[in-house]
Amino acid sequence: MVTPEDIEGMIARCALGDRSAFAALYQATSSKLFGICLRILKERSEAEDALQEVYLRIWRKAESYKAGGPSPMAWLSTVARNLAIDRLRAKAPPADELDDAPELVAKGPTPEQSAVAAGEAARIGACLGELEPERAGAVRGAYLEGATYDELANRYSVPLNTMRTWLRRSLIKLKECLER
Amino acid sequence: MSEQATYDEDDIAVAGEYVLRLLSAEEVATFEARLAAEPALRDLVTDWQEGLATLADEVAEAPPAALWPRIEAAAFGEAPRRAGISPWRWLAGGLVAALIAVALFFAIPPGPVTPPTHQAQIAAEDGSLVVQAALSPEGELHLIREQGGARPGRALELWLIAEGAPAPVSLGVLPEAEDVRIAVPEALRASFTGGTLAISDEPPGGSPTGAPTGDVLAAAPVQTL
Repeated sequence: MVTPEDIEGMIARCALGDRSAFAALYQATSSKLFGICLRILKERSEAEDALQEVYLRIWRKAESYKAGGPSPMAWLSTVARNLAIDRLRAKAPPADELDDAPELVAKGPTPEQSAVAAGEAARIGACLGELEPERAGAVRGAYLEGATYDELANRYSVPLNTMRTWLRRSLIKLKECLER
Repeated sequence: MSEQATYDEDDIAVAGEYVLRLLSAEEVATFEARLAAEPALRDLVTDWQEGLATLADEVAEAPPAALWPRIEAAAFGEAPRRAGISPWRWLAGGLVAALIAVALFFAIPPGPVTPPTHQAQIAAEDGSLVVQAALSPEGELHLIREQGGARPGRALELWLIAEGAPAPVSLGVLPEAEDVRIAVPEALRASFTGGTLAISDEPPGGSPTGAPTGDVLAAAPVQTL
């Protein structure tokens, strides 16, 4: 099992130009990061291009990762997510795509709650569970799919301002719950 | 309301929106200007990155095997097919040697003909080597070498690269015969789906390291039928 410390070590060695560390890092993390890109971009070829960009960024910017900041997986996920969202938004989506109701809305109990034992993960799952399902769904949609306020408002058939109010209140509640 | 008094509810929300990428370009600029000056706000951003990243805990999908050589070439600026430089050269370091299982070739008598579940035409770009491969539901890989062969004093070795796995697994050295059937270990059969078959130039008897050491002569994605 690859531990966060292992991944941190791999990133540190990437910063020194260690190619074998880069290969090991890819092996340990590419499924997760590809999954993140694919969730956001939907198309495999797009997600593959994004993943290439992600790892090039990681290879070249490894020295900017600081131990003691976000955990290594959170850092890698943030790089992947941000680059995938950049790509998503660079190509203007056709308007009718917005009508496709996402499967996220209908999902009942969160998979996180049942599957993840680790403290942090279990907490955010439980904390999302304290929100109304639609509001939790909006947070997930924004994080996992890179949905914008416009898209979320459309998806849940509420005015844009209402969506923003919902989401900001949800974030405040979440934070409160996470710190409990 | 936060007790620390270094940030308020609005900061909590806007930091979350920032991490979620929900802010407009203008709002991002304003927020980033504050970030540069306010360490407490930076901590808030880190908290959100951390907390929200766990939402993706269940998200995972193996990327195609062909992607790693592309990334490696782009990162290290190597031409993947130049003579003497194998795209898999890094494997020689033995880093993933533990992951590589070597399957032994052995001839099996032709059995009843069943339609294959997977096939691939493993061909060199210039057509100098062409091998047809078809996998039966029983795990018998039928190989027909239509064009080309091993270089003098060298051998051809067949590799399977599972989807998402940067490391190829040896399926063995190709026998001299043009039409052979080999048994694929059960553990490897599932990896044919979405995988890639490749043939490399190796010393007689096959790669001494368990990873490709010579030129990759031909490769093809496996088609699931």
